[in-house]
Amino acid sequence: MNTWTMHNALRGLLLIACAGVGSTVQAHSPFCDCKQINPTQIRCSGGFSDGGDAAGVTLDVIGYDENILLHGQLGSDSSLTFDKPAGEFYVLFDAGPGAVVEVDHLDIGQ
Amino acid sequence: MNPSAINPVPAPSKLNRWWLKWRFHLNILLLLIPLGFMPRYFADVALFRGDSGLGEREVGDVQVGPWTLKLAEFRNEAPQLDGPAGYMKHFSAALCERCINEVKATYLRIGKPRSLRAAGSLFEGTPHRMIAEVPIPKRATADAELWITLEGWDGSMHQASVPLTQASPATVAWLEQRGAKR
Repeated sequence: MNTWTMHNALRGLLLIACAGVGSTVQAHSPFCDCKQINPTQIRCSGGFSDGGDAAGVTLDVIGYDENILLHGQLGSDSSLTFDKPAGEFYVLFDAGPGAVVEVDHLDIGQ
Repeated sequence: MNPSAINPVPAPSKLNRWWLKWRFHLNILLLLIPLGFMPRYFADVALFRGDSGLGEREVGDVQVGPWTLKLAEFRNEAPQLDGPAGYMKHFSAALCERCINEVKATYLRIGKPRSLRAAGSLFEGTPHRMIAEVPIPKRATADAELWITLEGWDGSMHQASVPLTQASPATVAWLEQRGAKR
């Protein structure tokens, strides 16, 4: 057996090995992360698990009584900074029906 | 005149000798390896086509207002990490024949929804076999409930809940383990 045949055999093995690395299903789940950046302000950043940005996505700050305290949109950096409301509230990242993320004020860390 | 005296054939290398000796067996091995994955492959094909049912573990029929929904765990396993979106769990569902034309949207989430807008993940697919990816809240506990929200074309909204212990024991076990790690 010459070197050329052996190289072909190795190429064949490599091809079979590559065929085993199939494409994986990429999910497109939304996420939203909120942090208190100073005593009076909160910054929320959003996006999608496939790496997509969330510029222009609606982000509402809603009181526990369902009153909308702030109706905003994420900026070009997929984030929004707003004044921390008084009382109990939650942040709703709303990228459309079924693509929402709720962040309770109790889950907002420093 | 002897040609080998002019152009002598080099002796095969050690690797070459090894290849010549074992190439037949290696090729047989390459044919046999995929056979080991065949049962899993056919099980997955049956699951994705729906031949093996709604999912790996059927939860049962759930009455949601005037409508009925058959719910199942797509895979009988713990939630899977989906990058920055956190841990997710897939459920599948089928609407009853009578309600197919009456239900506009089916939502699913862990914990009671505050409003229709925050009703959770939307089931996608045909009414006979829909799939939803439900995020696991960071503060979810083993006694949490899975809430189903059905929105009708007539504007009505109906809700029902299933204890997570009934809907997904694998998720409950995972939550208990995660809780212990905190």
